[in-house]
Amino acid sequence: MLKDIRVSCSPHISGPFSTRGVMVDVIIGLAPAMIAAGYYFRVHAFVLISTCVISSVVTEWLCNVVRKKSNAFESLGDFSAVVTGIILALSVPPGLPVWAAIIGSVFAIAIGKMVFGGLGANIFNPAMVGRAFLTACFGMLMTTWTVPATIDSAMPKIAADGVHTRTQATPLAWSKEAIKTGKGAEVVNEQLSAAFRGEVGGCLGETSVLALLIGGIYLLIRRTINFHIPLAVLLSASVFATIAYLINSDAYVSPLCHLCSGGLLIGAFFIATDPVTAPLTTKGMWIFGIGVGLMTMLIRIVGEYPEGVMYAVLLMNAVTPLIDRFCKLVPAGGEPGV
Amino acid sequence: MEIDVRGKLSFPGGVHPVVGKKLARKSEIRPGPAVKQVAIMLSQHIGAVCQPIVKKGDSVGAGQKIGDSDAFVSAPVHSPVNGKVKEIALASHAVLGRSPAIIIEADPENNPLRELCAELREDFDAERYSAEEICSAVREAGIVGMGGAGFPTRVKIEPNPRLPKETMIINGCECEPCITCDYRLMVERPKQIIGGIKLARKASGCSRVIIGIEDNKPRAIEVMSAALKTSKGCEDIKVVSLKTKYPQGGERQLIRAILGENVPTGGIPPMIGVLVLNVATVTAIAEAVVCDWPVTHRVVTVAGRAIANPSNLYVPIGTSVNDLIEFCGGVTHKSAKVILGGPMMGIAIADLTIPITKTTGAITVLMGEEIGRAKFARRQTACIRCGRCIEVCPEGLNPTKIAHAVKYNFWDVAESYYISGCMECGCCSYVCPANIELTGYIKTGKIFLAGQKKKVPG
Repeated sequence: MLKDIRVSCSPHISGPFSTRGVMVDVIIGLAPAMIAAGYYFRVHAFVLISTCVISSVVTEWLCNVVRKKSNAFESLGDFSAVVTGIILALSVPPGLPVWAAIIGSVFAIAIGKMVFGGLGANIFNPAMVGRAFLTACFGMLMTTWTVPATIDSAMPKIAADGVHTRTQATPLAWSKEAIKTGKGAEVVNEQLSAAFRGEVGGCLGETSVLALLIGGIYLLIRRTINFHIPLAVLLSASVFATIAYLINSDAYVSPLCHLCSGGLLIGAFFIATDPVTAPLTTKGMWIFGIGVGLMTMLIRIVGEYPEGVMYAVLLMNAVTPLIDRFCKLVPAGGEPGV
Repeated sequence: MEIDVRGKLSFPGGVHPVVGKKLARKSEIRPGPAVKQVAIMLSQHIGAVCQPIVKKGDSVGAGQKIGDSDAFVSAPVHSPVNGKVKEIALASHAVLGRSPAIIIEADPENNPLRELCAELREDFDAERYSAEEICSAVREAGIVGMGGAGFPTRVKIEPNPRLPKETMIINGCECEPCITCDYRLMVERPKQIIGGIKLARKASGCSRVIIGIEDNKPRAIEVMSAALKTSKGCEDIKVVSLKTKYPQGGERQLIRAILGENVPTGGIPPMIGVLVLNVATVTAIAEAVVCDWPVTHRVVTVAGRAIANPSNLYVPIGTSVNDLIEFCGGVTHKSAKVILGGPMMGIAIADLTIPITKTTGAITVLMGEEIGRAKFARRQTACIRCGRCIEVCPEGLNPTKIAHAVKYNFWDVAESYYISGCMECGCCSYVCPANIELTGYIKTGKIFLAGQKKKVPG
């Protein structure tokens, strides 16, 4: 007869969803960008990604040990540290030394995530916290861009002055230059097809538009992310880029160029959509996304830095609790009557 | 059939649980086991508990009223068998714990198995009965909402001048996995359901009647539509096919899908002029009015992958869960959980002597491996704020916010996020990737808050 029957609260069955599944999906979504990074930056990609992933995981384990968790390995099983490591690796310059990558990963996990209490409790996107720390500490290293391995470095058109052989400026650096001098934006516009493939200077995983789009679409199809945040980011960024472009097309690069260069795509699909640090409600996601797009464009066009996705995401992360409070859901049946 | 069974209507949110409908779908309704003893709970409904009107040692006949109450919101209980009152004692109840029941020992000689009542004729005329007659017959028969809520049906169908009803929706959705009792009723007794609908329409004064059926039951849709065509006076009754999605059978979701209107949060359907009745309830109405027979039996689905012969049984109320499981061949796998109701909203029981009540539509026995996939068996991790619970909440609530407010005793926050608007459908727990038992927290919070509002007696 029936023995050992158990009782618990309903529901008694459960869908096939897990935190690890979500993270594995993100890793699969990032795979095309990692492959593109490997193709364009060869050994740099392998070294940076493995360094960041390993040091992120080890840092999380160490933090668990310090926090006297009964099982310090348990939280590693959700793979969120792996995701943080990959995103951090993909958003730093390919030539970043290994020791700097380790410092970034340690900071990202320890200060960006674990001091708040681990996954789910962090306010800021851990990978962006790590990157911001690296930018603040090693500004020079973080703005030195390696030429993709597929480019013949002797080609005069690629290196800005035809002399540089190992490094080159990113399209965004050029567009900043164009803004300052008020001319030359069309040089950047011509690089659009190269940017689409990823054959330009830039952060490890940010260069190939194609790879990021494939990964982003995978996440959308798997419904791991909602379309609201990416769409809002890209739409608002293009609106502000278009306004600038219409004002002065010599100084400001075309909106499409803005979308395809720098971290905007990886930011829209993989960084801003980090569920922990983004708002919960649809309305909140739109506000968040529009904010990220606007901030990015303000920094790129008005600000001093050529790239602004990182600060835009961090700033919007900071206001996420406010957005959530502002966008409180009203039940389907309306406010309950008194 | 030329009708399109693919449903287009639905509601926002909801989930698609793995459907176990196939298990008992083809099993015709048949009488259950011959019972030796039944335990009739005195509280099988929402409202006042009945007082016994028989004494220990009294002989009772099948269909005899054995418990009643003077309260308006209540429903009498009846003996399903001929026999003798063994005692009036406390028996296990799935929700109320130990609660009063009348234990009746069945007379082994004089207890023919009761079959599901015969089908009504096509030209059945509800106009022969006055609304008052129907209402009092419904009250005397002890009919309650047999879909699970157990609200006394008389109170629902009686015209109320303050909340006039215009539309009657018949709920044939049966969205819970594993349960097929309503489906079998629709396939086997369409004319009786239609007879019950006519009676309920007459009693309530509703002008519009819609039967809502999920599109995973195409046969039920066909049978009901065909029966409507041949029945008299049913021109204005129509069958609507709905998208298959849990919890389509929740009355608020059903109204939302069919009429596109939302019942106010914390309100009831009559506030927007709607009356929702389950198909099992209207079947009982027909039986009560036409055959003058009270609710003593009901169709119960005994299913789940651990059951040897999943069946739909017509059994006396008061039969123990154990008897029914044994009658269906017992369990094949190492079973792990016995649930009154379906796997999404049912109540897990530990005591198999619990008797079934008027509102028990199913007994589901889950296998160990099935519950191994459920939330409570796995370790709960931190909320990653993915928002899946918000996406699936059919009431448009923020389950994670409410659940965490309950977890950390922020009762005012829980209330300000409309904890009372939750209908405990379980969708949020079902989808949560962090294994958080959101529904459990919310249920706990609701019970606590209800307790807080009660005054200290004396």
